[in-house]
Amino acid sequence: MINLKNKIQESFQEFFLTEGKNPPSVYAFCKKLKITEADFYEQFSSFEAINGELLASFVSETLQKLQGQPEYETFSVRDKMLSFFYAYIEHLKANRSYMLLMYANMEKPIAMKNNAVLEKAKEKFMEFGREMVMEGEEKREIESRLIAQLSMQYPKLLWMMHNGILEFWLKDQSKYFEKTDSLIEKSVNTTMDLMGKTPFDSLFDLGKFIFQNKN
Amino acid sequence: MDNQSSIPTGKISRAAEFAKATGKVGVNYVKHFGKKLFDPSLQKEELHKENAADIYQSLSKLKGSALKMAQMMSMDRSLLPQAYSDKFAMAQYSAPPMSAPLVTKTFLSTLGDTPSAFFDEFNLTASNAASIGQVHKATYKGKKLAVKIQYPGVADSISSDLKMARPLAVQLLNLNNAEIDRYFKEVEGKLLEEANYELELKRSIEITEACKHIPNAYFPEYYPELSSHRILTMSWIDGLHLKDYLATKPSQEDRNSIGQALWDFYHFQIHTLKMVHADPHPGNFLFKEGGQLGIFDFGCIKVIPEDFYEDYFGLINPNILTDKAQMGLIFRKLDFILKEDSPEMQEFFFQIFYKMIEMLSRPFASATFDFSQKSYVDEVYGYFEYVASLKELKNANAARGSQHALYINRTFFGLYTLLYDLGAQVNMEMPEGVMN
Repeated sequence: MINLKNKIQESFQEFFLTEGKNPPSVYAFCKKLKITEADFYEQFSSFEAINGELLASFVSETLQKLQGQPEYETFSVRDKMLSFFYAYIEHLKANRSYMLLMYANMEKPIAMKNNAVLEKAKEKFMEFGREMVMEGEEKREIESRLIAQLSMQYPKLLWMMHNGILEFWLKDQSKYFEKTDSLIEKSVNTTMDLMGKTPFDSLFDLGKFIFQNKN
Repeated sequence: MDNQSSIPTGKISRAAEFAKATGKVGVNYVKHFGKKLFDPSLQKEELHKENAADIYQSLSKLKGSALKMAQMMSMDRSLLPQAYSDKFAMAQYSAPPMSAPLVTKTFLSTLGDTPSAFFDEFNLTASNAASIGQVHKATYKGKKLAVKIQYPGVADSISSDLKMARPLAVQLLNLNNAEIDRYFKEVEGKLLEEANYELELKRSIEITEACKHIPNAYFPEYYPELSSHRILTMSWIDGLHLKDYLATKPSQEDRNSIGQALWDFYHFQIHTLKMVHADPHPGNFLFKEGGQLGIFDFGCIKVIPEDFYEDYFGLINPNILTDKAQMGLIFRKLDFILKEDSPEMQEFFFQIFYKMIEMLSRPFASATFDFSQKSYVDEVYGYFEYVASLKELKNANAARGSQHALYINRTFFGLYTLLYDLGAQVNMEMPEGVMN
């Protein structure tokens, strides 16, 4: 069954890349592939779903690759995030034409809009993001803020950063996409700094102390 | 953990850093005059110190070209008061590093594998930062190596960084518009060359190969198979930075031996190779006990054109000082004096450049020269400060001096400054064909 899924994905991607659009119908697509429509719907509910799965697979394949490296586990959260994005963009480079076509159909800017096709990728990424935040809090790289609602938003913040980096890369015209590298370096560092201990935490702590001890 | 934590991002915030530096210089002047009202003994030197500290603070948050600019200015001591250059000299040793994943990524994308695949050991934490890259320690087949890695997008940001540095430079260097354009074009061209590690590798191998016979000088070995357009691998050379070396109180003999090696190195490059390591700031040299000089970083190389060579080095012939007609001719050829100048102006500039040449070529006139004489160095810098303050030069709408001369002059200033700091006595050997 897994083979059928791959087969559908691959021939869909090929069609999409050469024609620049979806096949006219699931019927026509299945006929060409010599499978029944029932076979198709068993795997995917629509063409859109294939795209969604593909985008999500880029995230999960990147993570698999990273977890396969022995030194990855020893990294700090900051370095894990950086490694993820570098490896992710590297992985996407092999699929740049596909990504550009996908991007053309998305609502922009993607960091601000909800694109249904990115839903699956978001799930995968948020899972990774939550893991990172938890690990970061454990290692004291990320501050567990008193306002729990704030900490809960961290994975979302990371997802917005993901979208921002992705969009920047899709538009990046610099040689070897070096500007994207700079953006990754800078945005991961900024995000980590914001989530880590900031002067505001000390200020809040001081304010609380004074409030509790005033006569 | 805080690698690069506070590097300003984007053109706007970088521009803000520059604006901060420029603004603060103004504030310091105001403060200076405020203080002076109450304490007339306050020296201008103190004001320079405050300005320099502010500018350094702003510049040290910037990487790449801006930092390079600071380095170049710190080297041009002729153009900068002592206090500025001391602060800028600090920029030569420190800047915040790139993250380990980015280093790994650079290896992956330019050499095809992670550092651990190439080296027996590779330290992912940078051991020091250069202006456009950082240096990592590694070992390979039992040898210690230095691996220089360039920051991403350096070449792209050079032009925009320099544009932003312009107002600061105008204020600091007291240059007129015509001059600053040339200065910036020159810096930009050199920076683009320096960002080209492939070219640097080629030149490094060429020059170190040609110079290895020079006594008391040592060079790194280069590894083309471990280098790419963003990575440059060479053997690690030991030694101390100038300030630390001088703190060990080396003997006069050792100082002389290093000074001689430095002199011979430049002498050989200029007169034989006709291309020269045009970046003699102290950060590019290492000093070792026993009077040994380590030389690395061949990113900034000036190739000397043949006709320029003849004119320019014709000037350092001490005999020419008595031949004013010949000298005037060369001044015209080198654009020190322009066709459009009125006779009075021609005479005026002749006098200025005559004195300059006399001073700069003075060491060449004797068999040995003692660079430790403070009076000589002070005279040179004093004169250049005087020249920089001349209305006639500031208001001139054309730049003077061939642009090749800009480099060569800078190289000599750098060299003389280093020799002065070392307090070395050097045997001056005249290049063949100049003494006739």
